[in-house]
Amino acid sequence: MLPPFELCEPTSVAEASALLSRHGETARLYAGGTELLLAMKAGLLRSDYLVNVKTIPGLAGVRVDPDGTLRIGAATPHRAVERDPLVRARFPALARMEADVANVRVREVGTLGGNLCFAEPHADPGALLQVFDATVRLARAGADRTIPVAALFLGPFETALAPDELLTEIAVPPLPPRSAAAYAKLGILERPSAGVAVAVTLDGGGVADVRIAVGSVGPVPRRMPEAEALLRGRSLPESRAALPAAGRVAGRAADAVSDLHGSAEYKTHLVGVLLRRVFEQAVAAAGAPGAPG
Amino acid sequence: MGAEPRRVVGRSVPRLDAREKVTGAARYVTDLALPGLAHARLWRSPLPHARIVAVDAARAAAAPGVLAVCTAGDLPVAGRRYGPAFRDQPVLADGIVRYAGEPVVAVVAETEARAEAAVRRLDVRLAEEAAVTTLEAALAPGAPLLHAAPERAGRFRDLAGLRPVPGTNVCHLWRLERGDLAAAFAAADLVVEAVYRYPALSHHALEPHCALARVDAGGVTVWSGTQHPFAVRQELAELFGLPLAHVQLIVPLVGGAFGGKCYTKLEPLAAALAARVGRPVRLALSLEESAHTSCRHAVRVRLRTAVRGDGTLLAREAEVALDTGAYADIGPRVATKAGYRAAGPYRIPALRLEARCVYTHNVPAGAYRGYGIPQVTWASESQMDAIAERLGLDPLALRLRNLLAPGEEPVAGDTPMDGDLAGGLRAVARAAGWGGPVPAGRGRGLAVAMKDGGGTHTVSTAVVRVHADGSVSLLAGTVELGQGARTALAQVAAEELGVPLEAIHPAVPDTALTPFDHGTSASRSTTVTGLAVQAAAADARRQLLALAAPRLGVEPAALALRDGLVVGGAAPLSVAEVVRGHFGLVGGEVTGVGTFVPARWSGTLGGGTVFWETGMAAAEVAVDPETGAVRVHRYVSGADVGLAINPRECAGQDEGAAVQGLGPALFEARALAAGQLLNPGLVDYRLPTFADLPDVLETVLVENGDGPGPFGAKGVGESGTFCAAAAVGNAVARATGVRLTELPMTPERVWRALRAAGRGAPPEGAEAQPTPGGPSSSMV
Amino acid sequence: MSELPVTLTVNGEVHALRLPPWETLVECLRDRLGLLGVKKSCDVQVCGACTVLLDGRPVSACTLPAFEARGREVRTIEGLARGEELHPVQAAFVEAGALQCGFCTPGMILAAVALLEESPAPTPDEVKHYMRGNLCRCTGYKRILEAILAAARRLAADGR
Repeated sequence: MLPPFELCEPTSVAEASALLSRHGETARLYAGGTELLLAMKAGLLRSDYLVNVKTIPGLAGVRVDPDGTLRIGAATPHRAVERDPLVRARFPALARMEADVANVRVREVGTLGGNLCFAEPHADPGALLQVFDATVRLARAGADRTIPVAALFLGPFETALAPDELLTEIAVPPLPPRSAAAYAKLGILERPSAGVAVAVTLDGGGVADVRIAVGSVGPVPRRMPEAEALLRGRSLPESRAALPAAGRVAGRAADAVSDLHGSAEYKTHLVGVLLRRVFEQAVAAAGAPGAPG
Repeated sequence: MGAEPRRVVGRSVPRLDAREKVTGAARYVTDLALPGLAHARLWRSPLPHARIVAVDAARAAAAPGVLAVCTAGDLPVAGRRYGPAFRDQPVLADGIVRYAGEPVVAVVAETEARAEAAVRRLDVRLAEEAAVTTLEAALAPGAPLLHAAPERAGRFRDLAGLRPVPGTNVCHLWRLERGDLAAAFAAADLVVEAVYRYPALSHHALEPHCALARVDAGGVTVWSGTQHPFAVRQELAELFGLPLAHVQLIVPLVGGAFGGKCYTKLEPLAAALAARVGRPVRLALSLEESAHTSCRHAVRVRLRTAVRGDGTLLAREAEVALDTGAYADIGPRVATKAGYRAAGPYRIPALRLEARCVYTHNVPAGAYRGYGIPQVTWASESQMDAIAERLGLDPLALRLRNLLAPGEEPVAGDTPMDGDLAGGLRAVARAAGWGGPVPAGRGRGLAVAMKDGGGTHTVSTAVVRVHADGSVSLLAGTVELGQGARTALAQVAAEELGVPLEAIHPAVPDTALTPFDHGTSASRSTTVTGLAVQAAAADARRQLLALAAPRLGVEPAALALRDGLVVGGAAPLSVAEVVRGHFGLVGGEVTGVGTFVPARWSGTLGGGTVFWETGMAAAEVAVDPETGAVRVHRYVSGADVGLAINPRECAGQDEGAAVQGLGPALFEARALAAGQLLNPGLVDYRLPTFADLPDVLETVLVENGDGPGPFGAKGVGESGTFCAAAAVGNAVARATGVRLTELPMTPERVWRALRAAGRGAPPEGAEAQPTPGGPSSSMV
Repeated sequence: MSELPVTLTVNGEVHALRLPPWETLVECLRDRLGLLGVKKSCDVQVCGACTVLLDGRPVSACTLPAFEARGREVRTIEGLARGEELHPVQAAFVEAGALQCGFCTPGMILAAVALLEESPAPTPDEVKHYMRGNLCRCTGYKRILEAILAAARRLAADGR
């Protein structure tokens, strides 16, 4: 049973923002509700007002800009991202990641923006979006700002959103030529237990650029610059030889938490294993002729 | 009937309830409503052991729509306890809370939402006491005692020999000794010893527990998804001081049970609340609450086996400890069976088997498909493979050398082995390609086990009512849990009676109408209730032929009933014509009655077993050495069913049991900390999903026609759970050289074991290993 | 008292309701409209017993607020058969023995219907992936997989 609440259905970002200001902590943004409503049922969250963002036009949908940037409305369900032909063609790793979020019913209703805002540590999108250097647009009455996804997550269930801000759009820049991204996870329970994302750009025989992000292991998904530094600018054989060290560095930096999914030690180890595998996947995809981002 | 080809039995006819289930017309207890229905919700203790200091119900009672707020003292059954072995369980916690999740206060209101809102307004003060929440803590000297002197229920004959150990938390100590243990161990070429652990599990039937109760001048009527309507009836009659005839249990279709709905659960509370408010009451639990109502016993087994160099088993010593939680439920019987079966299905001259059923401040553990046998089989079959490894013997050969032969008594005076264990194991091994090449990176493992089947000292009566139009009501108390028993019983009735299956209509189990049946558990329904059904059908058939004979001018012995027609006379007579012809054109019926009473009244289990339910399995796995993830590629399960009344349903039962068994093998377990269940719901309790279906899942049905049930049938349904963990564990050991003794074999545990054995991740700089699929769908 | 006007179509029938925003779709369908074939089990969107189709898409009725179905079409298990004639997926489940206790069955069938409408010729792996969120505690999944693949073949043969 859900606890009683009042439903607000704004038709603009300004109106939604004003509602959040007016009601303060008693109001929450509501999109798919696949995480929020569970928390409310369990009595972990109380909310007197739910502000429905799905009634605001323009917050759902997928398009690609002329410069190749993928723009995903925050209220777009995971499944729409998963099945979008442009996403599949140009950002296949994103489509594959979305295809494995939770189960098909959650994917039909749950939104990408909602997932990011809820900031559940055991989640997939936050890590992969960071290796694309994706950004999010945060809007409130009369003001817009754009921050990297990397700056969105402050802690478990805690984001950089101001109390009256809405996340309206996720922007995913295209990867340079000869690049590819990949993501893999291990799920011990219903939610992911460890997830690693990698994006590589190849040139000549080497790794011109590499981006690594780890999610589900620690309190927030995060980029791993120290691990990246061990691989960036090296030849492919050198990078491969450095993978175990990079894995250890990334594992430590992931700040693994012991919980029902497993011990911190095991999760740290998994980071290294997944990093090696995902790196190879990305390299293979980047090396393939006509490799998209 | 013998020489004729069978018409119904042995055929994979569609389940009688298939259509209603696929169209949504099926009605379960959770779908039922009554006029004037009120709704109950419960306040449950957050602490595992506490004194109830005070309950302030004022605000709750004043909440809108509330009819009553009840603590133990407010109920008409105040002070009384229930339980199938010991009468140790109160209807609501009475002064003392003994497990986290125990119901303390019940609120009844006009709607479920209002009852829930009122529960949140309760102010309950508890004074925490020291709790013992592990076997070790509960068994330690000086541990707080959960029950000083629990009263025996005195209800079941096989439980007459309950042996609590005074001054301890052991509510039942079972022992069996034979032969000269010391001499056998001294003479052994090899002694292997280890401690094995099997976790507590949640049944997680998809339909949670629910009961509707109505109390009026006529007595008590309860609709419940119970597996034991007659045992619950007796419990309610005693609690309420009513004659059995005034207590009625009705059981519609049940959305899964697996033992979690055995014996008495919610019924007394629902009935007490209905009596209290003077209206029918519905008590429906959430899935998480069901997990706080019953569970599988966590079991620790210390096993020591003495073997000769050629693999002959000489002796076995087993200490089995079962965590039965705060109330015994049917734990003592589970303990007895687990202790006995720690010997496995083998011939072992010297035995010292001990089982302790231990109270702890955890959720009460009770019946769960397999009933202790999966837990001890995990130990026994793992150790058999360890022995094979040490002696350099083939695991199949080692087992074949020691398996009980048909006709052999496991223990003097017990029912002799009535199945072909060796034949079944060979068949399963063959189907799994045993002895042939194993694909690179994989391992294969075997396991075999047995359990008493049919229950001990269980009685069933069935009635067949042949109506004037030839349709037939089948009155049997077997509950349809999904196992297909009611379809199988209808097939037996149709075959024995000689009418088409479509003529048979099984009635809903209703203790006021359907005759006494012990219960739906212990794989007994096809065999035991089936024999009663067969006898009832035979009785009805004899009466019909006796009625037809004079009309046809022949002796009854010259007649037969086939496809609803009496044949053998000058012209066939329909059943309807026979019935109507006898009673006149208006109505009348022919009633056949049959009863099964067990033949053996003594034995190791407190009674002879009706048959032995045997199970065997072969698993082929691959292990990802870097993550420890285990993938079961191929799983072959063998079930000796004697004769499959409905082959497809038998296979379906075995497949379902096997996948259910794979859960605790690899990922499924209750997570407990200091008496708190950390994973009551499905987000954190990992149930088998489509992703866990092995690439090849095969069931071998062994049909030697050697069962005591109708047409040579035995029971089925539990054996598939016995061997899964051990078969997989043995396969993992073969694939990796590493053996785990604690379940589940999660990736982390496998990884740690590999590391400890120096067989972990490849050294630095090595190429990435080829990776088999892991438990996650996007595992790289 | 905040009640919303919610008009939704369920199994082809239009219902003009007034209900609170916190009423879930499973509560609306079962308690208000008497569609007891929609089951409530885990209540946390994991098991899929509550699966209904919303504009043809599978959703968890246990967690979706009923107002989200305004102006949309809901299909429950009761709306699948055409009178006495079972939908091919229903028939396939019966023939394959893909059900035992039946509690997961309505949700399982509806999820399979949605899968086959989207992907008429799925591979076994595709079926397992799509159906991963529908749990069955009884059958072990083998026969459900067989039923879905058989239904796909039958639908293709029927030219549907």
